[in-house]
Amino acid sequence: MKNIFLILLSFISFHACAIDDPKTLIRELNKKFNMVSDYTAHVDMKFDIPGVKMNRMSGKVFFKQPDRFRIRTKGIFFLPKQNPMQNMSAMLLDTNSYTSIISGYETVGGHNCAIVNIIPLKNISELILGKFWIDVKNPLVMKTQITTKNNGTIETENIFTSTSHYTLPDEIVIKIETKKIKMSKLMSADLNKKAQDKSKTDALETGTIRLIFSNYKINTKFSDNEFTAADN
Amino acid sequence: MKEFTAVLRNEMLKTIRRPRTFIGFGVITFICLMLQGAFYQDGKEILSTVTGQFENVFTIQGHILNGNLICYILLQTLIVQMPLLVAFVTGDLISGETASGTIRFLLTTPASRGKIVVAKWLSGLIYTFLLLVVLGIFALIISRAIFGVGDLMAMNSEGLTIIRADDINWRWGCAFLIAFLSLGVVASLGTMLSCMMDNSITPIVTIMAVIIIFTIIGLFDMPTFEMIKPFLFTTHMISWRSLFEEPLPAKTILSSCVILFFHIVAFLSISIYYFKRKDITT
Repeated sequence: MKNIFLILLSFISFHACAIDDPKTLIRELNKKFNMVSDYTAHVDMKFDIPGVKMNRMSGKVFFKQPDRFRIRTKGIFFLPKQNPMQNMSAMLLDTNSYTSIISGYETVGGHNCAIVNIIPLKNISELILGKFWIDVKNPLVMKTQITTKNNGTIETENIFTSTSHYTLPDEIVIKIETKKIKMSKLMSADLNKKAQDKSKTDALETGTIRLIFSNYKINTKFSDNEFTAADN
Repeated sequence: MKEFTAVLRNEMLKTIRRPRTFIGFGVITFICLMLQGAFYQDGKEILSTVTGQFENVFTIQGHILNGNLICYILLQTLIVQMPLLVAFVTGDLISGETASGTIRFLLTTPASRGKIVVAKWLSGLIYTFLLLVVLGIFALIISRAIFGVGDLMAMNSEGLTIIRADDINWRWGCAFLIAFLSLGVVASLGTMLSCMMDNSITPIVTIMAVIIIFTIIGLFDMPTFEMIKPFLFTTHMISWRSLFEEPLPAKTILSSCVILFFHIVAFLSISIYYFKRKDITT
């Protein structure tokens, strides 16, 4: 009985130690992500932004460590100013620039996640608070909530399947709070339509951008020109 | 038919010979080139008044200031002025001849009064069509040559609609067709008033007044005006803009086209009816 109790106690304390340490989780995460020096992928984008109607479109994603990111496509599209794709990895990589604590646990998409709060050590950073929901079994960022000084809060949800061992998501859902875009009747010269109710346009609404990735090509060492060349 | 063709040819020649015919082409060319120059110089600044609303949250990627956007802005601007240019020519098609007395000579030709009215109305429509061709060349083709082709960021009172570049040519085709139908209403109204009046200035001024009053009514969101708006042809004249909405309000566009078409038929029928019974006293 005593032996069983000791085994149980050691197991509980080991388990608690493993998941209570945010640095371990981040280290595991960074180890996986450091395996990727660059990648390209096909991306399908779906937009649901208040006051903006646009069809889905597709393009090609280019990424190089630590934070060079570009989507190349023909046409107009919207991305959050604080691009979570670009910032998330860079934010976590520099472990000396922030302090991290686990503020709780939550299940995200069936995964038991530790909520790791990242607080920058220096005030020079744009970041105020980064919350990362990291799967404790297989360290992957399942969800983020990044609050910045100028660009408000951006939430992302990541869905992983095939390339989870590189921490590369198959789908990212970006949620941004924004006011509905308003256009004066004279500016739009839209004489047939009624002017919008001001109280409705001033209210914050949640916009969603869904990025679906496929055909990842990892560590192919593509040219840097991909980040600067004009779109076709 | 032979008499009709002769009258139509004669009317076309008369239209070409009048200096005022070319004012329209000159105005369109000038406005297009002027706005293209302004957008080439300050386009990004002008656009920032629209994009500035969400620049804190989003970055817009892609080529916004392109030929399609310039054409959209030009069409939006000119669709208010073009009826006035059409009125200049169609407003005195018959009244001008009545005032100068040449209508008597015209009525001595073998063509019936009905045929004369239709020929004059058709010459007005051909002039309108040519105006739109010039607008198409300058607003769309030259804008695309200067600013390039790209997705259209269409502005309407509900926000922005992004129309993809590969889905836009048919929309421009239909937009110019609706613009032709709209200006056709003005040309028909001009012909009708021209039949009714005996001097060339009054019909032109009347058309301008009607368009200005109807447009002002359309600008205000007042309950009384809301009841009137569906009956004003100016409300349906800007239905071309609906072609740049997603999802496409096909029913609304179609009903506007039908209403515009019936306006043309009504104005032309009244013109023929009135001219057939008109006493030429001048």
